[in-house]
Amino acid sequence: MFLLNPSSGVPLYVQLHQQIRQRILTGQLTQGTQLPSVRDLSAELHVNPLTVAKVYQILERDGLVETRRGIGTYVSGQSPTLKMDARRAQLDPALEQLASEAIHLGIGEAEVQALLAEKFRKLKPQD
Amino acid sequence: MNPIPIQLQDASRSFRGVPVIKNLTLNVQAGSIYGFLGRNAAGKTTALRMLAGLIRPDSGTARILDIDPFSMGAAEREWLGYLPERLAIPPRSKVRAVLNLGRDLYPTWDASLAESLVGKYGLSVEKRFSTLSQGSQRILGFIMAIAPRPKVLLLDEPAANLDVIARREVLDDILTLIRDCGCTVLMSTHILGDVERVADQVGILANGALRVSEPLDTLKDSIRQVRFFGFSGALPTAGIPQSFRTVRGKDEIVMTLRTNSGVTPESLAARWSCRQETRILGLEDIFVELSSN
Repeated sequence: MFLLNPSSGVPLYVQLHQQIRQRILTGQLTQGTQLPSVRDLSAELHVNPLTVAKVYQILERDGLVETRRGIGTYVSGQSPTLKMDARRAQLDPALEQLASEAIHLGIGEAEVQALLAEKFRKLKPQD
Repeated sequence: MNPIPIQLQDASRSFRGVPVIKNLTLNVQAGSIYGFLGRNAAGKTTALRMLAGLIRPDSGTARILDIDPFSMGAAEREWLGYLPERLAIPPRSKVRAVLNLGRDLYPTWDASLAESLVGKYGLSVEKRFSTLSQGSQRILGFIMAIAPRPKVLLLDEPAANLDVIARREVLDDILTLIRDCGCTVLMSTHILGDVERVADQVGILANGALRVSEPLDTLKDSIRQVRFFGFSGALPTAGIPQSFRTVRGKDEIVMTLRTNSGVTPESLAARWSCRQETRILGLEDIFVELSSN
């Protein structure tokens, strides 16, 4: 199930793309899993089929899914590098916001790195 | 070649010497749902009436599937579904009689679709039109427009007077029609949330002309509201990009502008040696910003 907020300034296709990508990268959707058809998913989400078709195209372009003509769309097996690139892409908006916020507040790079390291220790004490 | 199914070309129309539509060009591509927005009296209903063949443009052309809607024959009429702002149904007709009329008029009338919609929306077929609630009258008009399974659907405020659940159901029925028969839809509405959910294209009409007409995704991706602040010297007076709205304060400038690869909030802030904060806007805010003069 995907949760969309149509009245957000973030276009629906971006919201849906991020959620599906996230699920593929975190292993909630595993290799070989069939995604719902454009028709079914657009009916379920009450959105224009063009929105879903656009998301599937982007996922396919990025190598995260493959479409077998006339059969369906499946989560593809990814090479470790591709997976790493896609994970970094997922993280990028958060990093950009962090950096821009820090610049605005006049907090330097070194201090941000220290603060970030502290967060890591807090959230993932094992490492 | 497939024609553009819904088309106004340089169309103008006045009423008693007052121009309502001014050189309006509007194209809706096949398979699109176009959300047609504008304040009251912006000219949406007039534009839809020209496309439905009820009034002629004073100049310019209206085309539905490349045919002049004013001179459509009976066979071509079936391709065009239209829900007018006000329904012209005799108040004493019973719902059943109205549906029978639709069935007799349109050879493509899908009786099982009509029946299932009547059931879903809980219309009582024995009631007279004038005794239906405003919302049920609207639903009956909607059923009349979509039961012939048209290729082009013109909807003038389909959601007016409907409760939230009925509105969602109407949107789902429109989507189903698109999926099943590749219909093309032009829909005027004040309910921007509906447009955000289903439309792929939007147009904002103001003073009889389109302010924007483009994919909704492009609009949301490119319109930004930016506050520039922390100027090291005086506020810039030259080299300010065109914006939809600019408010200049004592030491800040807030503007709603279209960003692109050449104009970004960051590049402007760098040029003016100031700082900036950027806000993305939902359709409601975009509408307000773009409709104001």
